[in-house]
Amino acid sequence: MSDVRNEGGGTGAHAKSPRRVEVDVGAGGHGAALDERVPGDDKISNYTINFGPQHPAAHGVLRLIMELDGEIVERVDPHVGLLHRGTEKLIEYKTYAQALPYFDRLDYCSPMCMEHSFVLAIEKLMGLEVPIRAQYIRTLMAELTRISNHMLNLGSHIMDVGAMTPNLWLFEVREDTLQFYERASGARMHANYFRAGGVRYDLTEKMIADLGDWLDNRLQLFEDAISLVADNRIFKQRNVDIGVVSRDDAIAWGFSGPMIRASGIPWDIRRSQPYEVYAGMDFEIPVGTAGDCYDRFMVRVEEVRQSAKIMRQCLKEMPKGPVGSEDKKVFPPSRTEMKTSMEALIHHFKLYTEGYHVPAGEVYVATESPKGEFGVYLVADGTNRPYRCKIRPTGFSHLQAMDFMMKGHMLADTTAVLSAIDVVFGEVDR
Amino acid sequence: MAIQLAKHVPTYVDEPASLAGLKGARRRPGIETAFDVERGDVVEVLRTLRDDHEYQQLMEIAGVDYPERPERFEVVYCLLSLTKNHRLHVHVSTDEVTPVPTVTGLWPVAGWLEREVFDMYGVTFAGNSDLRRILTDYGFEGHPQRKDFPLTGHIELRYSEAEKRVVYEPVALPQDFRTFDFLMPWQGAEYVLPGDEKASPEQAGAPSPAPAPAGKQPENVKTPAETPKTTDTPAQTGAGAPADKQATKEARKPRAAKAAKEVSKPAAGKDPKPKGSRTRRPSGGAS
Repeated sequence: MSDVRNEGGGTGAHAKSPRRVEVDVGAGGHGAALDERVPGDDKISNYTINFGPQHPAAHGVLRLIMELDGEIVERVDPHVGLLHRGTEKLIEYKTYAQALPYFDRLDYCSPMCMEHSFVLAIEKLMGLEVPIRAQYIRTLMAELTRISNHMLNLGSHIMDVGAMTPNLWLFEVREDTLQFYERASGARMHANYFRAGGVRYDLTEKMIADLGDWLDNRLQLFEDAISLVADNRIFKQRNVDIGVVSRDDAIAWGFSGPMIRASGIPWDIRRSQPYEVYAGMDFEIPVGTAGDCYDRFMVRVEEVRQSAKIMRQCLKEMPKGPVGSEDKKVFPPSRTEMKTSMEALIHHFKLYTEGYHVPAGEVYVATESPKGEFGVYLVADGTNRPYRCKIRPTGFSHLQAMDFMMKGHMLADTTAVLSAIDVVFGEVDR
Repeated sequence: MAIQLAKHVPTYVDEPASLAGLKGARRRPGIETAFDVERGDVVEVLRTLRDDHEYQQLMEIAGVDYPERPERFEVVYCLLSLTKNHRLHVHVSTDEVTPVPTVTGLWPVAGWLEREVFDMYGVTFAGNSDLRRILTDYGFEGHPQRKDFPLTGHIELRYSEAEKRVVYEPVALPQDFRTFDFLMPWQGAEYVLPGDEKASPEQAGAPSPAPAPAGKQPENVKTPAETPKTTDTPAQTGAGAPADKQATKEARKPRAAKAAKEVSKPAAGKDPKPKGSRTRRPSGGAS
């Protein structure tokens, strides 16, 4: 927090009448009493501080211009765009297959869920069917991604409000998920695994068995880490009744995902607008009651358990079969096929130079990414490139609500509110 | 609907019948429920959709640029009904100067979404009290998502070692921006491939090659070119700016001079040390 400066000419007043500082260890954990504690010291004018862009609790490059009255936040103006890379513009200059890796780099904490919306948008425009095994693999990997994302977010949330150990434990679980990523796609983070019409590689039998073992054994580490904080007094003081969002506010501010569920609205795209094989999955949707940071945290905790439940069902029910569409004009042939078949070689060449053409049309496809509704508004003009690909990031709307969520809270609550939003600037800034 | 949808994409219940009587909106053909709305009616239509048709959430405002249209920009509002479990979009068109009425009065979330469309396309929203740029740099000029905005942009920045700060400079491309669309020329590419210029007869009025002179030409006369093709200067080679002035200077020296400099001269006698023990200087010059 550099660049502390005074607005208005209040500098002299400071020296003459030093303000009484009310020390409060709870840092705003008393909710209802906040209004009474607004200092009535008129001689000190509001001042503005700069939170970030380089700040460990900002979860990336976020710059918050905060207007403070003492330690009470009066107004927050988030400045985003410091990580803007022009992804949408770049995608317009790439074929559909070339555009896919850009999605990994949006929300780099949950790469496959980003790819998911894009391939579904393409498939919706093309009317492309996906083999059932590929649908199971996508569901499985999307849920693995959800666990991976929540491990990072829950861990950093805990650390942002002061606890160190759970974060280290959760990172171990996250490391496991990244290794499964690597075994599935060859890359730890930027997987580039989903394809229009299926997934790039099949999962090996060994990996499926290992995933089952992992679900049975390793998630205890997660439960242990959460048990350290879920009922912890300090953790509750930092989160309960912080950043409360009512149901109506959540709807008006375009909330989605764990944010809207924590406010008490049981809305989950996996359930209400099912895609892939979610329709046949048995899982619960956790809903918060108070709409505060603690609820958001606990909703995510429960989502991890539900994700594990979905993954177990996927592993159990996954049939054998191809993992890519039979349509050879869309899905590339396997390497071995390419070496023996002239036609496969031609298909391979055409797919990796020209790519496939997507019929003209406009679709908005949203999936339930770990952070909320991740949508892709895709305008195709019938060529091999998207005419327009508007990405609907999850954190953008949530971050916009930062101002009203922070109003009247203490400066130290900023980190709790930010963590509970689960903000990643790869997708907010695009 | 005639189009067969894949079963695994996000599905929601059928279009509510009540939408048929939506005033001021024309149904748009396509896979998804979409309406064209006149610019002036957009607030009223969206209010009706929110209050009477239960589309509670505004999820996204997308801009699209169609430069060939008289009103080149389209602003697309993506709505979601949590109760009816249905999505639709509302399309409004505008141009560079005509503002679109803001919907921040209906949904507070529209504030940033409109800011983004303004930033990316230059579409203004009448009534939005905070229409600042949002994603681009402080002091950025232009609207990058417009189709006529180059992919490389106009300004680049780098850290200047001399000035000890980040400096902004016009973009200098070491090679021309290249783009390949790989479209097959017999399937919709709208340009002439290199080498195909003479494949079809020229249209009337087109500049044609100079006609061959009348009369009998002497055969195989070797006419000297008026300007011989030379590449004496770097400018003629098409190369960019020299990477290093010192290196260029060295390279330009005649061979003899270079050789004289590189080979140590025992006759000079100034440096009695054996050659191997000399410390090399990055500047390349002798000490």
